[in-house]
Amino acid sequence: MTAFTKRNGLLRPTRRRFLQGTAAAGAAALSAPSIARAQSDVLYVNSWGGPWLEAATANLFEPFAEQTGIRVETVSPVSFAKLAAQVRTGVYEFDVTSLGGGDIVRANQAGLLEEIEPTYPDGLFENGMGSHAFATVLAWRTDTDWQETPQSWADFWDVDRFPGTRSLQRYPARIIPLALLADGVAPQDLYPLDIDRAFAKLDEIKAHITVWWTAGAQSAQILRDGEVDMIGIWHGNYFAAEDEGAPVAMTWNQAEIERAYWVVAKDTPNMEAAKAFVEFATSAEPLAGFVTQANYGALNPAANAFIADAAKPRMPTAPDTYPQTFEQDMLNFGADPEEVSMRFEEWLAS
Amino acid sequence: MNASLRLIGIFAIVFIAAPLLIVVPMSLSTSASLQFPPPGLWLGYYASYFTDMSWLRPTWNSLVIAFFTTLLTMALVVPATFALVRHRFYGKSVANLMMLMPLAVPHIVMAVGYYSYFGDLRLVFSKTGVVLAHTCLSVPITFLVLSANLKGFDRNLERAARSLGATPRQVFVHITLPILRPSLTISALFAFIQSFDETVVALFISGRDAETLPRKMFDSIRQEADPVIAVISTLLFLIVALALLAPHAMRLTRRMLATASRRTTPRDQT
Amino acid sequence: MSTAPRSLTDRPTLWPWLLLTPLALYLAIFFLVPLAQVAWMSVSEPTPGFGNYADALTGTLFRKVMLNTFFTAALVAFCCLLVGYPLAWLMTKTTPARATAILLLITMSFWTSFLVRTYAWMVLLGRNGPVAWAIEALGYGEPPQMLFTRFASTLAMVHILAPYMIMNIYSVMTKIDPALIRSAESMGARGGSLMRHVYLPLTAPGIANGAVLVFVICLGFYVTPVLLGSPREQMAAGLIGRQIEEFLAFGPGSAMAMILLAVTLVILAVYHRRFGLDRLYG
Repeated sequence: MTAFTKRNGLLRPTRRRFLQGTAAAGAAALSAPSIARAQSDVLYVNSWGGPWLEAATANLFEPFAEQTGIRVETVSPVSFAKLAAQVRTGVYEFDVTSLGGGDIVRANQAGLLEEIEPTYPDGLFENGMGSHAFATVLAWRTDTDWQETPQSWADFWDVDRFPGTRSLQRYPARIIPLALLADGVAPQDLYPLDIDRAFAKLDEIKAHITVWWTAGAQSAQILRDGEVDMIGIWHGNYFAAEDEGAPVAMTWNQAEIERAYWVVAKDTPNMEAAKAFVEFATSAEPLAGFVTQANYGALNPAANAFIADAAKPRMPTAPDTYPQTFEQDMLNFGADPEEVSMRFEEWLAS
Repeated sequence: MNASLRLIGIFAIVFIAAPLLIVVPMSLSTSASLQFPPPGLWLGYYASYFTDMSWLRPTWNSLVIAFFTTLLTMALVVPATFALVRHRFYGKSVANLMMLMPLAVPHIVMAVGYYSYFGDLRLVFSKTGVVLAHTCLSVPITFLVLSANLKGFDRNLERAARSLGATPRQVFVHITLPILRPSLTISALFAFIQSFDETVVALFISGRDAETLPRKMFDSIRQEADPVIAVISTLLFLIVALALLAPHAMRLTRRMLATASRRTTPRDQT
Repeated sequence: MSTAPRSLTDRPTLWPWLLLTPLALYLAIFFLVPLAQVAWMSVSEPTPGFGNYADALTGTLFRKVMLNTFFTAALVAFCCLLVGYPLAWLMTKTTPARATAILLLITMSFWTSFLVRTYAWMVLLGRNGPVAWAIEALGYGEPPQMLFTRFASTLAMVHILAPYMIMNIYSVMTKIDPALIRSAESMGARGGSLMRHVYLPLTAPGIANGAVLVFVICLGFYVTPVLLGSPREQMAAGLIGRQIEEFLAFGPGSAMAMILLAVTLVILAVYHRRFGLDRLYG
């Protein structure tokens, strides 16, 4: 029996002892995670789904497998808690993940991230290797009866001029700055954030937000299906909805730019492959292909040489676009993000 | 009074039937979104279900997990049920209550417990872990079904066999087991379906390599409302419908065949 | 083989213990220990003591969610009764063939995965779904927002739990002696008064059974409210899940889980004293 040899040869000691202890004949057939892992060269990457996944598969995962023989499998959704939980339990679902600016500070402070070597100079931030920039943009359905088109987050809050349902991400670190902008704070004065003022502003719109989206693909789906009329959405998912032919439009004005970083989970059993992948994924050519397909902005400057000009208008870092946007500044957040998250949950339920 | 009750009753039938039936046209829709009426019909999403490993693997996992859960549950519950139904002993009512306990605990509470406990045992995210958890959850329902049938069992049949000289083992194999076979099958089916449908615990502990179908469906509904869900929903509903309707249909055809043959050859029937 | 046993039941043997031990051990290891671990985490994480309970019970979030959970469970039980009673009644009044057909439909619904049924409601109540389409086609104008509201999750839970109610009431109704009804009718009881004075009292046990069952299951519901409801009307299970999954707050999450468990057990214990638990699910 192959299952039996697998069990004898390749299990980690703790698990082997436990399995032998409980040894039911079925236990071998119900192969545990580390068995499959040790057997083949597989790297598990936490996936954001949607257009991110398509671009990553074609430009990062497949070429990486070709070059190294290590196959990439994906696990979703991206979850900070999962990352923390697997370090805590020692059972790894994924070896590599990419985090936004908000989570990476939190994760590194909690000691969840492995130290890595920079692929390019100045790219390392909190043990994460800078990959790409993405944006939360204002988008809306064009099949409404509005006389004007929305221009800013203040218009998102203006339910008299733009009646209809709204949606935002269920993620306070990203939407609090938007509330402050809507309240008239200038982009350069946002950080540190005035949390109380933001919640007061959020109170105004709460009744009109019918969906608090939790996954990128979900935001694209509710916009595409007309479940909501106006939405704060990641630009990649917006373009996915637009490309499917949905009657939608967006503005780059006051788009919130956030940087995403590749990180390696602390003490992952797949350390070498994980580090090799992060280096591969942030090196110029693969990254260029990835951001071209998914319309992200490359953080490795060397990648820009491989990006066709035609691909640039949809990127949040394009020369014409970038000045209209603002960037997140998590190191200067102004409060404990954890506490803000809890307060946000309470606020949602009230 | 009666008329209005009747009206509400008919309304209730529609209320119960409509959600079951709506998934069928949706699974044939060409539109990726939840649009009604469907703009066009095709079988494309059926093709994607049967070719997409990210759906087939959870389906397979669920079948494997449900199978082993059923085996383990039956191995544990059948002897225990015999003890509880056929013997009187000190602490019986406590034992009885213990068998029903898993039914009283909300699944989310157990999910939190398993998440932490199996994490310590390194069983989290493994099929073994899910089977062990599902077995606990399947115990009460299996026990209830089985004990109800065992209580109605006519012990005189066994006594008669014993008085005719059969050994206890012979009685069990030749009398007790054959009589109980239908109820054993049904209680096993309950265990299987309970595991196959269980979502909350699986959501927390099934993870990457043991991802079950309900977990995959839950994630998919929450994230992108993949049209393949309509396909799976239709298939799951059709399996249930066929399983329930098949006996009726068979009885009906048999009756029709019987009447038909009676008509053609009346004299053969005596 | 010579001694014929008087009875298989009365021999004082070790048999029952032998037969019970594997399951008892199993449940101890894989049911009681994880449960105890939840209890332990609730008083040990992040700091020892009953702080998590104090926080949960004094904080607005958990209290509000708990109240909403009770309210929703009661509402769902009531709606199940509204749907289930007439339907069960219809089944006893109609022809046997039709009653079988209805019974089949209910069984079908019962056996269909509740994720499938939850998804079906998502389809039905979507912005472009059949219900919205019908509202517009009938000329009632712009359909209201239905998905991701309390309305949607309540409706779906009623649909999912109605079979429990119907089966409980129906089994009681079929046991009612028709002679009793006939004699009541002969004494002049008609329509509403027959229903109030004869039918309702006779079916009360079924109603109580069904209502307790639906209420208790609903208290712990996770999937349907999370997928169809709004975060403003969260239910306890959803909140607990989020505490663990999003915030890794094992202590507070466990404390909330224990409170939910305690509430459930109190209800079931009261019920058990009066009727016996096995009757409830039987």
